[in-house]
Amino acid sequence: MLFTVDPQSDVPVYRQLMEQVKFLIASGQLEPGDELPSTRTLSSELGVNPMTISKAYNYLEKDGVLERRPGLPLIVKALDDGQLQVRKEDLLRESLAPIVDMVRQLGIGHKEALRILGEMLDDAQREEELR
Amino acid sequence: MTEILAFKDIHRAYVRGVNVLQGVSFSLGQGEVVGLLGKNGAGKTTLLRIAMGMLEAQRGAVQLFGLDPRREPLAVKRRVGYVSEEQILPPFLSVRAVIALHRQLFPTWDDDLAAQLSARFGLSPRAKIGTLSKGEARQVALLCAAGHRPELLLLDEPAGGLDPVMRREFLETAIDLLNEGGTTVLFSSHYLFDVERLAGRVVMLHEGRVLLDSPLDDLRERYALALVPRGDGVTRDGLLALDGCLAARERADALHAVFQADPRRTEALLEREFGITGARCRAIALEEMFIELMGGQL
Repeated sequence: MLFTVDPQSDVPVYRQLMEQVKFLIASGQLEPGDELPSTRTLSSELGVNPMTISKAYNYLEKDGVLERRPGLPLIVKALDDGQLQVRKEDLLRESLAPIVDMVRQLGIGHKEALRILGEMLDDAQREEELR
Repeated sequence: MTEILAFKDIHRAYVRGVNVLQGVSFSLGQGEVVGLLGKNGAGKTTLLRIAMGMLEAQRGAVQLFGLDPRREPLAVKRRVGYVSEEQILPPFLSVRAVIALHRQLFPTWDDDLAAQLSARFGLSPRAKIGTLSKGEARQVALLCAAGHRPELLLLDEPAGGLDPVMRREFLETAIDLLNEGGTTVLFSSHYLFDVERLAGRVVMLHEGRVLLDSPLDDLRERYALALVPRGDGVTRDGLLALDGCLAARERADALHAVFQADPRRTEALLEREFGITGARCRAIALEEMFIELMGGQL
């Protein structure tokens, strides 16, 4: 199954789902035209209230991520490359938000924080090249 | 939204003058699933029994589908499914006989649904109620409560005493029922994990009153827990006096306070009021919220 939720996380379940759908699309695991499981299927499988699933789907539709077709499963909406890039950046921004909070709370300067991020990206790349 | 169940200013005391409920008001719209929370003795069971017409409110009114359950018990009960905390099914009857009994009582009884639930639970029709495990007896009770496709399900600690596997089974069954018919559900539970999965909204009772009534998602998006370091002259009373502070309690080296505002706004408030910059404010999940509120309410 593509989705998992943690009902005890401090992120609401519908948001967890939205983030996962967006991530799967941005990373290419879900492609335009792919069908999403029905509200009913997903709520039984995940063991969460169907209203929670429809809430996530409704927001994703409003955000232009999913497309609703009467009587048919929801599908991933087609995107051009520019939109995909924006989507990826939005996703990164969202994930970095708590990091920004932490940087401020620790009193680390902007340059310092950027240096650390740069180093970590370099390290990750090096590791990949070694493999 | 059509109002399915409404409590209006419910008061109920027991003979010894102990007030159980002191002005409880809230209502459920159609299709809503509400988790009723509170410590032992908070009045959850009493409230559900009042909804069923088994107890009368001494002040205030309860209405189900716009009807008074004391005046029109039959009309109300036909449309409601109820599983009480201590289900009393006759121990000498077989599972089949208990089901047959309910089938006769409810004109809207759905044989297919009953068969489906029975198969899912793996209930053997010939087993006597008295020989069932606690979990199996609860499953029979749920089957009887849901078999007539009620418009409203009232569940009092439905998962009490069940093992994790049975609890999950129970939960999934409830979810399937929701999927099928858009049933409205009010259930009390101490298993906040289940509440997080099943409920769309929670109502917390404390000392006979509604301490909190909020959509579950809003708990995380519109409330914050602030961890305020001790010293700097900040006191519990000082925190409680702030706008939006619901509860505060003293812990080993910090004060914990729950605010009805998101973490960023709470941080800004604390900085403005007390000049605190080191307060950690974050969103909280249900269980933590429950503990913080119960341990440090106003």
